[in-house]
Amino acid sequence: MLAAKGISKSFVAGTYALNNVDIEIRPNEVVGLIGENGAGKSTLMRVLSGTHRPDTGTLTLDGKPLRLRNSSDAAAHGIGMVFQEQSLLLNLSVAENIYLGQEQQFSRLGIVNWRSMHEASRRQLAKIGVDIDVTARTSELSFAARQMVELAKALTLEESVDRPLVILLDEPTSVLSASDIDVLFARVRSLKSRASFVFVSHRLDEVLRISDRVYTMKDGKVVAEHEASNVTGPELHEIMVGRGLHTEYYKEAQQTEPKPEVMVEARDLGIAGFFHGVDFNIRAGEVVGIAGVVGSGREELTRAVGGFLPHTQGTLKIAGEAVRLTSPGQAVRKSIGYIPRERRVEGLVMFLSIAENITLADLSHVMRNGAIDYGKERRLATDWIKRLRIKAPGPDVACRKLSGGNQQKVVLARWMTAGSRILILDHPTRGLDVGAKEEVYELIRQLSAQGIAILLLSDTLEETIGLSHTVLVMRDGEITARFDASAGRKPDQVELVAAMV
Amino acid sequence: MENISKIKSLLSNNWVQGAIPTGLLILLIIIVELASPGFLTGETLALLLSNTAVLFILATGVTFVILIGGIDLSIQAVASLASVILAQLLPSMGFAAFPVAILSGLGFGLLSGIVHVRLRVPSFVATLATGGVVAGIALWIANGRAITIEQAGRVNTMWVNESIAGIPVVVLLAIAVGMVSFLILRYTRFGRYSLAVGAGESAAYAAGINVDRTKVIAFAISGTLAAIAGVILAARLSSGSPSLANQLLLPAIAAVIVGGTAITGGLGGVGRTAVGALIISIVRIGMTFVGVNIFAENVIFGAVLIAAVAITIDRSKIAIIK
Repeated sequence: MLAAKGISKSFVAGTYALNNVDIEIRPNEVVGLIGENGAGKSTLMRVLSGTHRPDTGTLTLDGKPLRLRNSSDAAAHGIGMVFQEQSLLLNLSVAENIYLGQEQQFSRLGIVNWRSMHEASRRQLAKIGVDIDVTARTSELSFAARQMVELAKALTLEESVDRPLVILLDEPTSVLSASDIDVLFARVRSLKSRASFVFVSHRLDEVLRISDRVYTMKDGKVVAEHEASNVTGPELHEIMVGRGLHTEYYKEAQQTEPKPEVMVEARDLGIAGFFHGVDFNIRAGEVVGIAGVVGSGREELTRAVGGFLPHTQGTLKIAGEAVRLTSPGQAVRKSIGYIPRERRVEGLVMFLSIAENITLADLSHVMRNGAIDYGKERRLATDWIKRLRIKAPGPDVACRKLSGGNQQKVVLARWMTAGSRILILDHPTRGLDVGAKEEVYELIRQLSAQGIAILLLSDTLEETIGLSHTVLVMRDGEITARFDASAGRKPDQVELVAAMV
Repeated sequence: MENISKIKSLLSNNWVQGAIPTGLLILLIIIVELASPGFLTGETLALLLSNTAVLFILATGVTFVILIGGIDLSIQAVASLASVILAQLLPSMGFAAFPVAILSGLGFGLLSGIVHVRLRVPSFVATLATGGVVAGIALWIANGRAITIEQAGRVNTMWVNESIAGIPVVVLLAIAVGMVSFLILRYTRFGRYSLAVGAGESAAYAAGINVDRTKVIAFAISGTLAAIAGVILAARLSSGSPSLANQLLLPAIAAVIVGGTAITGGLGGVGRTAVGALIISIVRIGMTFVGVNIFAENVIFGAVLIAAVAITIDRSKIAIIK
């Protein structure tokens, strides 16, 4: 149906984001597209959706050449995209979002007939079988519900285009919980009779679950094509990164015994409306993972320890001293470092250099006679670049030019420079490719061996179990279970899930 | 089309952007030299630099605020108030009137900063409002009139109009202000924190930086430097007036932006503001030369400001311009 032939695209002279890519999307199928960060998946999606024009190569639709000037051109040909960074406007209603830019069909003399727009929106949502109030403000919806709205929005093309749709799903599951993913997949399956899908994801198991065929990309090229039924996750992983997914993925053999010293002690800790009665200890060198669904209170708990959200009940002791942290600055002074999930917003000042970001939390190492010593700062940064194997031309490069994994290392270098003894890792591997994840796991093991106390929130249960010494499960603001996760005695995912829901 | 996109990509190149203001300044100097050889020497040069000095000090203050991603619209009112306080107090207090007038600027700068930070009021609203309050106070103190600094007071203001080794004192003052500001921005924690807050406030906060304090200090510096500019202006003109600095807000902000400091914060500095202030001064002289009506000057500054922002704004940093 939709085919791309010999597509190349280069943003920087000499390097190809896409290099002679051929792919084909057949009627009524789900095509999986996998690859590490920077493999070219997103660029390919943008070419298919008309936001990027290829330098060479052709697109064809039903055998006829297709030239896309922009995304509305693609929409006119029945190609819709559901974005990874959601494209909904949170201040508008659900219906307004679904028909954003297509209001003319409901308007007469420039005045929109809201009733007919709301009715049409309800019809769109009914197609995917979800019940969402179309007049609700989008900001009030959960992330998963917004994803459904986004899908419904793409499906509006059915009415205006006289052919089966091609819907591009760019990393739709990266921030969904397991049950939301099931719902999404069920919708995709039921829509398959009317449309084709391209599904992009980092998570191999999901791609294999939903797809009929899988393309694997590496370094801007399609390196493999498989029927999903004929290939396994580990095989794809090996093709994707060029090395095997060994059982040592989480470096369990490097897991060391925690030291007796208690670094974080929470007793009956709570914040009204979020969580209550939370008791736990984190010892030096211990990784404590918290599992729980959105709304379990685990996010707020980590924000409380990080100083973003002061607790209102109970006591929090840091290295034996009772504290109430009312700003991240206070937490930093208690030697707590926070590695946020929103790396680009809270993690790094993207426009400052690597060196400036590394010293941001603690300039004292590079001060001389009350002034910043730039030479010393560069040497410090160069040293970290070597130690953490940060891929960068030098310490003066702005952090926005680094890849996700390297940015994460810069944040880590900052907290090590500041002498943090407690680290909060809030989804430390989010958005990283498999290779970069492995490096982060390795670093977490090293930090733990050095006696750093770590509080971990993670995207997957597997990661939580694999990395932690102790796993706490939270539900509705309470700790509902505790598991010992020492090396060789790791709990089963099923046990955790039972306590989560 | 292709040419335009080439020019655009050339302009977005970092070092080119940094070099544009300096290049423009050199070009303007060459034009003035060709139009009137010898203009930029001796007395006329001294006069040009003296006129630039007040503008530069004012612009340096507002540079601190723009770097943290804010704006200070109260500077002309603060400068005018300082001139009124100086003129009013010189007869009774003598030289001590200088620090009192300057401290008033510090006070209102702090007030703007605290209103902005504590009450979470956007800085342009906060400083527009404090600017209104300050202008009102100045009118009130001065009874709505200009206050002439009489002979008795002038004893204490004479020094401002002197020259040392042929260089006007006001120029030396501006150089001193510029040097100190440069050192603060480049070598102190506050300077580094300012850039971090301007370029990425959430990340700066999460790194443990006291964002509120950094902002308040920036506004305090802006207010203080505005007051210093105000007293220098009063001393030069031997008069304090509630509307003394009223035509200086636009040129001061224009000097910062034309110099290449990003209006969005996080990028720029005092050196750029010095270049920008000189450009503004030369353009102003050029206008007088060409015979542009003096009342039309702000029309030109407005246009220059728009052109400068359009050329220098880093659009890779902000997707949508509001």
